[in-house]
Amino acid sequence: MHIGANMRDLVVFGIERLEKENVAYGDVRLCERKSEVINVKNGAVEAIKSSESRGYGIRIFDEGMGFASSADMSKKGMKETIKRALKIAKASSKVSVKVDLEEIDIHEDKYTTPYKIDPFEVGLEEKLDYLMDVDERMDIDERIKVRQCNFKAWKTFKEFASTEGARIEQDLIMTGGGLGVNVSDGKDTQKRSYPNSFGGDYNSKGFEFFKSFDLIEYAEKTAKEGVDLLDAKQCPKGKKDLILDTNQLILQVHESCGHPTELDRALGTEASYAGTSFLTPDKLGELRYGSDIVNIVSDATAEGGLGTFGYDDEGVKAKKVDLVKDGMFVGYQASREGAAKIGVEPSGNMRADGWQNLPLVRMTNINLEPGDWSRDEIIEETQDGILLNGIKSWSIDDKRLNFQFGTEVGYIVENGEVTELIKNPTYTGITPEFWSNCDAIAGEEDWKLHGVPNCGKGEPPQTMQVGHGCAPARFVDIRVGVGKW
Amino acid sequence: MVGKNYEERFEGLADKIFKNAKADELEVRISHNDSALTRYANSKIHQNIARNNFNLAIRAVFGKKIGSATTNALDEDAALNCLTRAENIARNQRKDPDFKSLPDVKGLKDKKDIYIDKTADHSPDQKAEKVKEIIEMANEKGVDRVYGAFKTESSGLFVANSHGVEGFSRLTSSNITTCAIADWDNDQGFGWGEMCSADVSDIDHLHVAKTAVEKGLNNLDPKKIKPGEYDVILEPLAAKDILIYLDMMGFSAKSVQEERSFMNGKFGDKIMDERINIYDDVSDADMIGFPFDYEGVPKQRVDIIKEGVANKVVYDSYTAGREKDKESTGHALAMPNPMGPLAMNLLMDTGDYPLEDMIQETEKGILVTRFNYCNPVHPVKGILTGLTRDGTWLVENGELKHPLKNLRFTQNLIDAFNNIESIGKERKLYSMGYWPAYFVSPALKISDFRFTGTTEF
Repeated sequence: MHIGANMRDLVVFGIERLEKENVAYGDVRLCERKSEVINVKNGAVEAIKSSESRGYGIRIFDEGMGFASSADMSKKGMKETIKRALKIAKASSKVSVKVDLEEIDIHEDKYTTPYKIDPFEVGLEEKLDYLMDVDERMDIDERIKVRQCNFKAWKTFKEFASTEGARIEQDLIMTGGGLGVNVSDGKDTQKRSYPNSFGGDYNSKGFEFFKSFDLIEYAEKTAKEGVDLLDAKQCPKGKKDLILDTNQLILQVHESCGHPTELDRALGTEASYAGTSFLTPDKLGELRYGSDIVNIVSDATAEGGLGTFGYDDEGVKAKKVDLVKDGMFVGYQASREGAAKIGVEPSGNMRADGWQNLPLVRMTNINLEPGDWSRDEIIEETQDGILLNGIKSWSIDDKRLNFQFGTEVGYIVENGEVTELIKNPTYTGITPEFWSNCDAIAGEEDWKLHGVPNCGKGEPPQTMQVGHGCAPARFVDIRVGVGKW
Repeated sequence: MVGKNYEERFEGLADKIFKNAKADELEVRISHNDSALTRYANSKIHQNIARNNFNLAIRAVFGKKIGSATTNALDEDAALNCLTRAENIARNQRKDPDFKSLPDVKGLKDKKDIYIDKTADHSPDQKAEKVKEIIEMANEKGVDRVYGAFKTESSGLFVANSHGVEGFSRLTSSNITTCAIADWDNDQGFGWGEMCSADVSDIDHLHVAKTAVEKGLNNLDPKKIKPGEYDVILEPLAAKDILIYLDMMGFSAKSVQEERSFMNGKFGDKIMDERINIYDDVSDADMIGFPFDYEGVPKQRVDIIKEGVANKVVYDSYTAGREKDKESTGHALAMPNPMGPLAMNLLMDTGDYPLEDMIQETEKGILVTRFNYCNPVHPVKGILTGLTRDGTWLVENGELKHPLKNLRFTQNLIDAFNNIESIGKERKLYSMGYWPAYFVSPALKISDFRFTGTTEF
């Protein structure tokens, strides 16, 4: 499956039709995506699925906006879809204002994800052998009720063209997976995963990224820790210094910085669904978001990030943008439309879930920049804290202020040492207060770039693959052990 | 819209696939969805879209080895390529000892559609006109801005397998939401209205808008309240938000088989108040859904919680095959699916209390319009957290005293459903949004509901 010459002809045909219609702005985005998913559970293959999908979306900004998408790859289908988008744009004009798009450099370019091993060229037999081996190594205790491991890869081919003259072709690849156990002794149930929960970890790399986890090595260790959780003490209640490992800190960055710095939320255009943001435009450059060691960027150029690409879905070249600098809120993830409204540059964050959806402001790689501690030093310098690892539960309000997160495991940290495993850890806080209490961030040697493959947003709901890089960090005086257990 | 010739077209394509198949068992599923959505924000239409797509899914079985493939291209070459991929995967697969067979159930052709032409044909102009009326009404009432979405969709589902299962069904759905922000400058006065129906003619957009506007105007200058345990009155929408998570955390056979359901070890026990009846029933007059599941098995009514007793869970053919003398209840998702079966047409029985009486009989409590971003904290214990949104009020001495800043709850839902004070006499249909699942819920009054945090808005 690959975009061939006839597909490029279809894109050109679409742009020519839009030009004939004399629309103020129009773009055609054609995509083909294929994916492979393998799930192994309790010694059997729960699912193997090969999926392919192709089609295109037509986006028009004229007197009103209109978007229509179709899988009909004929010229007749393209004409009808453009007609549908025009009709929708005309209907919109009854209740809208003309949209201004911030000017951008217009590109004719190609981009390909760098990778070593094409995951679709690795035989099914090899993948299955590996996953079955991982599964067997997790089978160490009868209290393990579910053992699961998985592999997933996507390949996406995109052709973008606009009435402004953009012509961009991209070949993108994503790979990942992981393992986990659910354990139960009849009284309690716990779970433990590696390298992260909810399907593992993902990156814009080839099969080499999946193999780099070394699931074989971690299978037994992860399973054992899952079993140990059954007899672990409940997370203490009260105020503690909190150390977050990278596979939980990415969620903190995602929910409390990634989403609220999306300009569409801040301008209210997601108010009826995901919500708005406490980071309103009047606070840009004015609000202290965190302590002065907190620096957060949106970086679509980060090597291997799940949100790494050449161009976003409105033709803006991938870039790195400051969101929080020295603790101050300084930037948004902005579309061309949003950027024009508040007078900033588009940040290259417009992304659509497949060909059928409208591009929205989405995270690329939202990264917490490294600090100057090491993970070991942070632990050694903590007197009364807990160390948390592995996403388990998350909830945050519709302005992204009040959050409550739970992790798979926690460890008591006393007088500079990790002393005891604890279960059901939770913590809660208010975003700017929490980040203002960040007093230590580990450095580059502990910095990891993780992938979150399932970020939801928009109506109809879209799922996006985003990246988050960070090193372990400490937050002082945080409320932990929420709820009645 | 779902074309009149689609059944014939899908049957024809399936015939070609079956003729070329080498697998011992084969399932062909073809679906179509055509949807239109008009979103409005800041009292203007800002996103207006239409989508049209097909999906062909093939499940091939050799003995106990299963492979699956999908494509959205319905030409013969693409379909046969999809078949080849599914069969190649199956050949290279491992045996699944728990797999018994694809379903062998006949008689699907007698099942009826829930398909309303007016919904399928609803135009962007018609939606824009209604959105315009909503905005005008909100302006007249003095609300700063309104937000929301108006969606119509039509879907077709064809399922056939090599045992002779064959069915085709169509449905339509329409849904409108309005979020009012009465005082934009001060970021307050949030209110919400929502309505769902198979027939777009039933959608009273001005009633939805009026509900949101009135809530917004009554939600100015909210005050903070100390977290703690309060009597809570959940409007039907808030009750639905909780019902979804009960479903996800415990109502499927797979969650029970994997010992991650709060129903585990409790079947036959009274686990909730005896007035609680929760069941999945696509044939209920209030419900929208296909009459059969994604494996072609007719959906049965399943009484999940009956008079407070943990009674049954829903099955697909795979989970049924793992237990003795069990059959699928017709709740398969698109296979293969790690989630397992799911109750997608869930209803709760009504009680005898109008919402107004619940409020009048409350000495001190909290009225909740809806919840935001709920998530399980411990699924087996049934612990859920989330926040209130778009209208929360303090009730004192039978009256709404004043609006409240939003609150976070962290609550064991099983405890909550044992602390039922009263159940509303009316119930409403809601779309889940993320999946094609629908829920019908009444209002609930619950004592000692645990709020664990507050917000500044």
